[in-house]
Amino acid sequence: MVVIDKEKSDVREPSKLPDFALIEKSASFQGLMKKKKRFLVPSILLFLGLYILFPLIISYTDVLNTSFIGDISWSWVYALGLFIMTWTLVTVYMKKAAEFDRMAEETLKEFNYEEGHNQ
Amino acid sequence: MNPVVIILFLIIVGMTLAITYFAAKKTNTASEFYTAGGGLSGWQNGLAISGDYLSAASFLGIAGAIALYGFDGFLFSIGYLVAYLVVLFIVAEPLRNLGKYTLADMINSRFNAKKVRAGAALSSITIVIFYMIAQLVGAGALIQLLFDIPYWVAVLLVGIMMTIYVLFGGMTATSWVQIIKAVLLMAGTMIISFLVLAKFNFNIMEMFTFMKTATPHGADYLNPGVKYKVPLDTLSLMIALVLGTAGLPHILMRFFTVRDAKTARSSVMWATWIVGIFYVMTIFLGFGAAAFVGQDLIVSTNPAGNMAAPLLAQALGGDLLMSFVSAVAFATILAVVAGLVLSGASAFAHDIYGQIIKKGKATEKQQMNAARYASVGVAVFSIILALGAQSLNVAFLVSLAFCIAASANLPVIVYTIFWKKFNTAGALSSMITGLVSALILVSISPSVMNPVEGAALITGNPIFPLTNPALLSVPLGFLGGWIGTMLTKEVNEAKFAEVKVKANTGGFRQL
Repeated sequence: MVVIDKEKSDVREPSKLPDFALIEKSASFQGLMKKKKRFLVPSILLFLGLYILFPLIISYTDVLNTSFIGDISWSWVYALGLFIMTWTLVTVYMKKAAEFDRMAEETLKEFNYEEGHNQ
Repeated sequence: MNPVVIILFLIIVGMTLAITYFAAKKTNTASEFYTAGGGLSGWQNGLAISGDYLSAASFLGIAGAIALYGFDGFLFSIGYLVAYLVVLFIVAEPLRNLGKYTLADMINSRFNAKKVRAGAALSSITIVIFYMIAQLVGAGALIQLLFDIPYWVAVLLVGIMMTIYVLFGGMTATSWVQIIKAVLLMAGTMIISFLVLAKFNFNIMEMFTFMKTATPHGADYLNPGVKYKVPLDTLSLMIALVLGTAGLPHILMRFFTVRDAKTARSSVMWATWIVGIFYVMTIFLGFGAAAFVGQDLIVSTNPAGNMAAPLLAQALGGDLLMSFVSAVAFATILAVVAGLVLSGASAFAHDIYGQIIKKGKATEKQQMNAARYASVGVAVFSIILALGAQSLNVAFLVSLAFCIAASANLPVIVYTIFWKKFNTAGALSSMITGLVSALILVSISPSVMNPVEGAALITGNPIFPLTNPALLSVPLGFLGGWIGTMLTKEVNEAKFAEVKVKANTGGFRQL
């Protein structure tokens, strides 16, 4: 099943390139990927889910047309909720990403990588 | 045309030309031309992204849509904002880590095949052209109204300005034009919002109560369903809005203007706050226009409602504010079209000429010349098309651009980053299926076919029922990529390991 086209994959002088398969299989990189996945997948499902749900609810039902407070209906609350969700997730992402950065740096250090030296 | 408008207009033109003059001195290499040397900081790039993104369609279009349709107009604001989560969580960092100037660079970091690069360049160019015609036609109509000059003069004026920025100042000039425009646009919007809120004693409840009786729609104005009555159409539009942004070439290009993934990430954070605050204020612009200008006057000035914001400025702040808002609208148009020219030129000059024809061996001088010729080419081509497209309904061009971006570009980006088995044939089939299905479905949709003569390009019953085909064409793009991959046996796990490591660590970048 594994067919590697030598000509295509090795155009950039293979001697200078690190063994990416080795890095990819390393415990530190696998740890980073696991952590990223555990955060990214549920977050993406959450925001896309809440977002897609909104047009479905307002198109097929009238439940959000009821009053939240005075003449402001729940539709506006849901809409504003999506704004707050966006800002919150961006903030959480920035925090998490700083953690991912540290882990990525460790992986790179483990394989003696220095910026600008490879390639 | 009153003298204040002319003076403000000249200040903006003068300021942007001065920026171009200084930027020109710093634009000597292809990297400086396409990405300002990757030297923008997070907040600068965040403002520039906002400047690139908040087009006249956002500023004038959404304000008008909310003024005319109430809650349904606000749906655009929601979609355009949440889209940034897709950009941040899925696209921005891998794109920065894998690419150099264009989307094709990123996809080719995995496949290194000419046809894949050609496919990515083709879909980018198609999106840019449609988006550009929409912007230029809209700009022409708007400037015609604002400054009372003929349509063709307006299109030529915008066309010449955008060509000057890009040709001489490259990405540096374009970025700063976008940054200044973003600041002006936020300032203008805040002033109008403040004045609107002051009318309601800064009481949001009072504003909503007032809006219940302010328009012919009555209480329905505050609820969904005034404009979008077909559920699947609403859903399809929302999908195109949220997924399209992450595939727009001129937005993607803005992630190469920073030095690393960390800065790319922080620029998205800045953009999300700026764009989000702007979209919240579209409520005040829209409500204010409906309340203090009135729907009759808005529609009689421009049937699509595009003049709602300038008319509101006139009603609240007189000629001075109206002139300021008009000048901001002009700056808005310039900033967006300049970004579009640049992203179109990069697909032609970098992808097609530099990488495919010259096989990446073009000299610095050849690259720069190609970039400049391509910029002029893209600009002239779009100006000619825009001059002939005056009567075209621009709304469907914009929705088409978003739809192609979501259907042709997003699936290939997602597969390239995440799917181990994805291969060259899959990349190609994913892009082609997405592009072709979006184009075909739109051309047989109610946007193009209408049984009422003259209401659309073709007279007849629409074959495809949805105005925006994203609901079908995005899954088709993904399906196309899957089938293409499954039908061919090529698998390169070593290359995927490389892409995965590069995308997720930011190491081993092509500098």
